[in-house]
Amino acid sequence: MARLRDTAFFILLLLLSLIFIAPILIVIINSFKLKFSIATEPFILPTAQTFTGVSNYIEGLNKTSFLSAFGWSLFITVFSVLAIVVFTSMTAWYIVRVKTVFTSILYYALVFSMIVPFQMVMFTMSKTANVLGLDNPFGIILIYLGFGAGLATFMFTGFVKSVPLGIEEAATIDGCNPLQTYFKIVFPILKPTTITVAILNAMWIWNDYLLPYLVIGNDYKTIPIAIQYLKGGYGSVDMGAMMAMLVLSIIPVVVFYLFCQKYIIKGVAAGAVKG
Amino acid sequence: MKAVKRYFPIFVMPTLIAFLIAFAVPFCLGLFLSFTEFRTVTDARFVGLENYIKIFTSDETFLNSLWFTVKFAVTTVVTINLFAFLLALLLTRNIFGTRLFRTVFFMPNLIGGIVLGYIWQLIINGVLFRFNYSITSDAQFGFWGLVILMNWQMIGYMMIIYIAGLSNVSTDVLEAAKVDGAGALTTLFKVTIPSVMPSITICLFLTITNAFKLFDQNLALTAGAPGGRTRMMALDIYETFYGSTGAEGIGQAKSVIFFLLVAAVSLTQLMLTRRKEVES
Amino acid sequence: MKRIISVILSAVCVFSCFLLSGCGEKNNNALVYYLNFKPESAAVYEELAKKYEQEKGVKVKVVTAAANTYEQTLKSEIAKTDAPTIFQVNGPIGYEAWKDYCLDIKDSKFYSYLSDKSLAIKDDNGVYAVPYVVEGYGIIYNNAIMDKYFALKNRQSKINSMGEIKSFEALKTVVEDMTKHKKELGIDGVFASTSLSSGEDWRWQTHLLNIPLYYEYKKSEQDPTLSLLDAKEIAFKYEKNFKNIFDLYIENSVTSKTLLGSKSVADSMAEFALGKAAMVQNGNWAWSQISGVEGNTVKAENIKMLPIFTGIDGEEKQGICIGTENYLAINKNASEEKRKASLEFLDWLFSSETGKKYVTEKLGFISPFNTFKVGERPNDPLASEIDRYLKDDATETVPWIFTAFPSENFKKEVGSGLLDYVQGQADWDALKKTIIDKWKSERG
Repeated sequence: MARLRDTAFFILLLLLSLIFIAPILIVIINSFKLKFSIATEPFILPTAQTFTGVSNYIEGLNKTSFLSAFGWSLFITVFSVLAIVVFTSMTAWYIVRVKTVFTSILYYALVFSMIVPFQMVMFTMSKTANVLGLDNPFGIILIYLGFGAGLATFMFTGFVKSVPLGIEEAATIDGCNPLQTYFKIVFPILKPTTITVAILNAMWIWNDYLLPYLVIGNDYKTIPIAIQYLKGGYGSVDMGAMMAMLVLSIIPVVVFYLFCQKYIIKGVAAGAVKG
Repeated sequence: MKAVKRYFPIFVMPTLIAFLIAFAVPFCLGLFLSFTEFRTVTDARFVGLENYIKIFTSDETFLNSLWFTVKFAVTTVVTINLFAFLLALLLTRNIFGTRLFRTVFFMPNLIGGIVLGYIWQLIINGVLFRFNYSITSDAQFGFWGLVILMNWQMIGYMMIIYIAGLSNVSTDVLEAAKVDGAGALTTLFKVTIPSVMPSITICLFLTITNAFKLFDQNLALTAGAPGGRTRMMALDIYETFYGSTGAEGIGQAKSVIFFLLVAAVSLTQLMLTRRKEVES
Repeated sequence: MKRIISVILSAVCVFSCFLLSGCGEKNNNALVYYLNFKPESAAVYEELAKKYEQEKGVKVKVVTAAANTYEQTLKSEIAKTDAPTIFQVNGPIGYEAWKDYCLDIKDSKFYSYLSDKSLAIKDDNGVYAVPYVVEGYGIIYNNAIMDKYFALKNRQSKINSMGEIKSFEALKTVVEDMTKHKKELGIDGVFASTSLSSGEDWRWQTHLLNIPLYYEYKKSEQDPTLSLLDAKEIAFKYEKNFKNIFDLYIENSVTSKTLLGSKSVADSMAEFALGKAAMVQNGNWAWSQISGVEGNTVKAENIKMLPIFTGIDGEEKQGICIGTENYLAINKNASEEKRKASLEFLDWLFSSETGKKYVTEKLGFISPFNTFKVGERPNDPLASEIDRYLKDDATETVPWIFTAFPSENFKKEVGSGLLDYVQGQADWDALKKTIIDKWKSERG
């Protein structure tokens, strides 16, 4: 009886998985079709007449300069995540260890920033970034650090509180300055939280559209900006190139996910429990 | 700890400067600008509450988008959490292939909002074409399109959190319930759900805030068509700012209201469910 | 985990080197920043910029705004420290909005080339924006299909050639009869899709609406564009005529009405190019879109243009709509050096051999400058049609007065009003009211 029920559940889950994957498969199929047969008949496999090989991909790559978009996305994501992980964990440690009025104000200000929607600062932030000359792929890293600081510091402080003071004091007695103590002793202990923070922020920054669009969008296009620009950026939307670029933007993420899924799933679960 | 204190410039300065530039200053400036009329910030002219009054008197789009957003949030919060919880229950039964299923269900969450929007535009239009409709034929299509998209994206994420919660439910308590002769449903409502309350809190928080703040998916799927009737609040604010000239002050005032609303809703929810957690 | 991280980091390093050496510095220290309005020509402008740098050693940065986002792109870009040095205003209304940024270019070579000086936008004694292209639109038709129709034995209309179509009445008779015979003609509908998806509706909310409003202000004492510019309100006297032609488009379309909201301009040009439709309303800029479609069945010599008839008295003398909404202005707030470099770039573009070659052959522009000799005009079939109407003394072309429409927002509202009408969510009277009301509120 129990086995029968489990088999039924298994089949149900199998069907659901198919439904979950189907949209991605449909986009892949359509990326090989003639552009004007995509919109009207998306569920039909390419026929001899509508099959175009990789021409949509070539067209799309030419139009969007996808490689450079991929490069910028990667560059901005990796360095912003690095900056967030290193600097906010340091700040979190300082906030926990040095209790002054200032650090508690800073802590609450950071926590407060977590609930403020981006639209609230959208205009003024992009203006500030421009005036200060931060509207380039390097400057935007600083913006991401500031914008991601709330959640990251919050998560790190939660963890730092559980780090025993004893080892730090021992290190100080051994002649380590605070910086050495932090990087030799504390930072390695924070590793599980570091992974979580890194994953949550990477997912956010890699897929972010509006912030980079407003700050650097006309000069440097990240993947989401390049995709959105396909609609209207070259006259009228080209469905073939669009499908091909959707596929190209999904593949790296899926490959990365399949390699590190253990960490990603753990990280997400851990992030939620702490957050 | 005196020694640590001296290291303020190294430990706190980078985060602090970035935070000031990216958030604190723009936030205060935004608050101030919502009471002014401006085009480039430097030319701001104080107008008092005029912008706020205009939102509710001469600008009908904001209230429409507010109503649309609320409807959307309620629908998705219920459906996503329900489906995610059911999936989590199924995936904690040690059925063959559990890990693979978990991987698949979570995957859509990694795809960005813009990409998701165009994927679903293709699919929904493909279905509607059969009936001679398209996603912009009726605001209802756009609404349900967004709901389906959001479910597809968020179910896996919430499911992971529920699974983590469910695996913490002690087997002793479940055994005890069985011994006491409690049925499956009774066990679910009396034992399982109360003990995963922390997960429910966080899932509700994430789904509510995500639903209210939705922008990318909205922009890519319908861009507000037809006639701005599928425009959510974030998109409406964006349109007010960048879609026309001369309404910047109103846009900024809208964003202040938007912020207050998001803050109020999410904090209320946190307080309500946290209380439940304490009770159980 | 360590391995994965190291792989990623090294990939990033490789990529950053590539980016930083390749295109990292491409946009810095550019003296000329051209904010392009025509997305369909984005690639050509990029090429031009490279060419110019090769020839003159001056960097030109080109940014292209996505369709229907020029105003918002300009707005955010011009407020930046590194603002566009050359930008476009779409006529008197555009000039009003951006006049604080427009440099007086009365003494420039670029202005001196303009053949008809009255076309430039002037204010007080200065010249602030100069048109760089003349364009025309009408109903583009595929003559091969029309010949096939006129050869039909069982057709009902008494009209025997395209030359006889000189009124809405005649057009309607032919179109409706063609719809009845669409199987024999091998078409899915007479007109290509009336594209109404967001950002793809400018052919109706701007170009088509030009005609009834032109007639409304045609007889006023001053120039119709100027009268429209002053109009606080419009009567929309010829709304019936607007409805006539719009209904004809959507009732005899390739696509059923409920699907028009998902159609793009590219879709409808492809329908025309693939021979699925016999007619499409568009302008000469659409030639590249028609010729660029894979599997194109329309021969260049069969592409012709017909005026847009709407049933207004005296329309047998009406020609196609010819004008411009493309005026270039120089950013007054840019540095002296940048302004000079920008004017030199425009001078080069419209007077050097290389520049002119790009303008006529690659951009396909009919230029209003005296630097272009008789032979130096684009030779595509649609540009030839424009020439034909310009030379035809029997007809009078309709000027582009939509440059005096109150705002971009007005056009957007009209577009979504048309979509609601097409989808049956609002009736014609509601649309009429929208147009009249929005005109008043946007102007006010």
